[in-house]
Amino acid sequence: MERYSLCVNEREYEFLANANETLLFVLRERLDLTGAKCGCLTGDCGACTVLIDGEAKKACLIQIRNAVGHKITTIEGLSENGTLHPIQKAFIYCGAIQCGFCTPGMILSAKALLDKNLSPTESEIRDAISGNLCRCTGYERIVEAILLSSKMLRGEDCDV
Amino acid sequence: MSKIVNGGAIGKSFPIDDAALKATGELSYVDDIKMPGMLHAKVLFSPVAHAKIKSIDTSAVKALPGVRAIVSYQNTPRVYYNSSGETIDVFKTECVFDDTVRFIGDKVAAVAADTAEIAARAIRLIRVEYEPLPVNIDPENGIKEDAYVIHTNGGLASGNLMETVSQSCGDTDRALRVSEFVFEDTFTVPAIHHGAIEPHASIAVFDATGKLTVITSSQDSFAVRINLSRIFSLPMSKVRVSVPAIGGAFGGKVDMITEPIAAALAMQCGKPVKLVYTRKEDMTSTRTRHAMKISLKMGFDAEGNILAEDMKVFCNAGAYASGTSNIVWAMCGKFFKVHKCKNLRFTGYPVITNTQPGGPMRGFGSPQVFFAQQRLMQKAANALGIEILEIQRKNLTLPDGIDYRFDLPHGNARVLDCLEKAAELIEYRTCLKEQKESKDKRFRIGVGIGVGAHGNGMYGIRTDITAMILKMNDDGSTVLFSGSHEMGNAAITLQKQMISQVLGIPMEKISAVAGDTETTPYQLGDYSSRGAFVSGKAAMMVALAMKEKLIGFAARYLNCELEKIVFKDGLFIAHELEKTNNTDAATIEDIVQYARHKEFTELICEVTQAPDAAVISYGAHIVKVSVDTETGHTVVLDYAAVHDVGKALNPLGVKGQIEGAIQMGLGYALSEEIQTDKNGKVLNPTLKKYHMLRANEMPKKIKIALIEKGEPSGPFGAKSIGECSVMPVAAAVSNAISNAVGCDFCDLPITSKKIQDAIKNI
Repeated sequence: MERYSLCVNEREYEFLANANETLLFVLRERLDLTGAKCGCLTGDCGACTVLIDGEAKKACLIQIRNAVGHKITTIEGLSENGTLHPIQKAFIYCGAIQCGFCTPGMILSAKALLDKNLSPTESEIRDAISGNLCRCTGYERIVEAILLSSKMLRGEDCDV
Repeated sequence: MSKIVNGGAIGKSFPIDDAALKATGELSYVDDIKMPGMLHAKVLFSPVAHAKIKSIDTSAVKALPGVRAIVSYQNTPRVYYNSSGETIDVFKTECVFDDTVRFIGDKVAAVAADTAEIAARAIRLIRVEYEPLPVNIDPENGIKEDAYVIHTNGGLASGNLMETVSQSCGDTDRALRVSEFVFEDTFTVPAIHHGAIEPHASIAVFDATGKLTVITSSQDSFAVRINLSRIFSLPMSKVRVSVPAIGGAFGGKVDMITEPIAAALAMQCGKPVKLVYTRKEDMTSTRTRHAMKISLKMGFDAEGNILAEDMKVFCNAGAYASGTSNIVWAMCGKFFKVHKCKNLRFTGYPVITNTQPGGPMRGFGSPQVFFAQQRLMQKAANALGIEILEIQRKNLTLPDGIDYRFDLPHGNARVLDCLEKAAELIEYRTCLKEQKESKDKRFRIGVGIGVGAHGNGMYGIRTDITAMILKMNDDGSTVLFSGSHEMGNAAITLQKQMISQVLGIPMEKISAVAGDTETTPYQLGDYSSRGAFVSGKAAMMVALAMKEKLIGFAARYLNCELEKIVFKDGLFIAHELEKTNNTDAATIEDIVQYARHKEFTELICEVTQAPDAAVISYGAHIVKVSVDTETGHTVVLDYAAVHDVGKALNPLGVKGQIEGAIQMGLGYALSEEIQTDKNGKVLNPTLKKYHMLRANEMPKKIKIALIEKGEPSGPFGAKSIGECSVMPVAAAVSNAISNAVGCDFCDLPITSKKIQDAIKNI
């Protein structure tokens, strides 16, 4: 076990971990941040997606030492003082959430896109979430939610 | 019974009621739960397809620090069970661990240790000696006279044949003889993975009072309790099954998979034990949709009327019974539900083999039926020179249609309405024109129709009941106690809508305790499309019972005759001419307070709902594809899905079910297949190699419409959608591709390679 420090959701965490542990394991088992889910551990399902310096990454593929020194955002860090982020609001409003297991990763992939591109096309949205599998929704409501949240983030009047 | 008031919640769109918990990551799924002293388990799976275990040596494991429990057939009860639960199927072929392994991926032993890493290391130290037995993965070989019999336990009919499923109406042989045209073909469909993003997981706790609590991601908690109680010889008062959340199920979480293993380990060491399968384990050691070979013969007259249909099915049950036999019975049932034809015969052979078991999956055998049937109809239409839409119109059952096996009505069957609406949505004539015009081009357009049907619960098959309890709070809000499991289909949301509608209580003032065998009353399980028709109706009935009760108290509170009380907009109003207690109206809160403080009564109601009809849901899908004749690549350009739902209780939820089913059905049609070698070893056990459709591979356009013409026995006229929505997909897509290319595809999935090969052979 070695001592690590990691910046997650703008908070510094100090903890002990084995060098071969993944960021996903550390988040879930060492820091009690269980929002990132284990769906496959091979980087194929996207349920463990987190933001690393604003980029959507699969936490199951990242060794803990490679996460050190970077700014990590998980789903737990998205709402502020109990107020939901517009993407979260839009996901709820549009019915983009069914079983919810892919939702945290899906929302973070959407955030990575919208932080760079506030007016994405539908096809850009579909590409941005193509690393995230969903078995419930057929992606239709999810794409609609991301389009709606882009409007909300642009400050347009939305009935949410 | 009182008249149902209009509370406004029915027919309105609601997001799933736990959406905020899911959007923030606050909801704890099984794998998110930690307990003091909790151990982690790992299972040793069989590397061989069929063998007797000669010996298991665990001495090296015992020496490994951190190992707390080791279980195998040597120290667990040899009680045979059916993983689908005793109410769903009768054949008991499986033990927690057996002295024989029957497929690659069968469970051999398991270890619980302080960490998952130690448990993983430990199972690699178990030494097992296997004595090989004959291996068979082909159902047709399995029923040959000299075939090795895989199970001697379980009550199978004969050898590896579980039973012969056979039903008919009319005189199919005669009708085929007199038909002017007879078409036949054989169709094959693969085993596929349910693909819930959450793998199977459970935590078992065996406490100092001798009570076993299993926290699990199950859609059938009461059946798990029945099985665990029997296996471990515990009274049901000492077995609790609790479902905190489910990360997708689709039938894959009907069967008991991880639960008895975690339980056996916890009972051995007295510590909480968590067992979570990896994706690979989920894809190789749980359940699949059944692989089948379907032969179908159809007789027609020259006008395109179907005179006879004769379907014969070889179903690969895999190594254990699961719900297979029931699934073949269910597919048999669907065969009699869609056409006016009076001469129908179905024969099914579910056969045990040495592959991963098949089990319940969304549609319960029926997507297979409709793929074969709808494909052969298209083939017949081409040969007869009659447009398929016309053939469909001539043959689809009507609202007064009946199942000729029993002369039982289908209910308000609106399949023809679905078809017409789908044709309108996709502009069918224009699609046909595009299909014709692209005939000599590299990118060929094809349009295909698929029709399907599904049931609403288990009426007439099993004791199908859902019981519910409703309890009023002091302030007029309420708590529902429901045995339903929230799988993501907004089942609990729908139950709240029912209560809101009947009692005029706003949705946010209704909470629910659900999915727990100890705190909720019994229900059969969340399968067989029971959600709206049975459990939804149970919620409606318990709310109606509460309304009756409230009116009784309101009459005394308002000093007014019972019959004179009007309940409107959440208020009990005494008839204007009645004498009252200073006031002429009371809120639910007033009545709850009055009942408690003046009559010392807590307001609680319970009902048991049992359906009294076997009604059928229908759907028609029409799809337009483009096929690249050079690469064989298929793109779905346009998609129309129309469903006969009786009444859309939650239109947003209904749409979500249909869109999700289209993703699942497209995978079935185009890309999904659990590939195995000759010993049944899964060759593609990752989500990289097993191709489920991603967001950028879905159709550009999905158009959905609902036929809402009411089902008299359904709650507010509603019937099921979840399973029905997947039925027509593969049928429609396979017809579209066949029409585009000019070949008959009879083998799912229709991959680019198969299309290229077919084009080469034209």
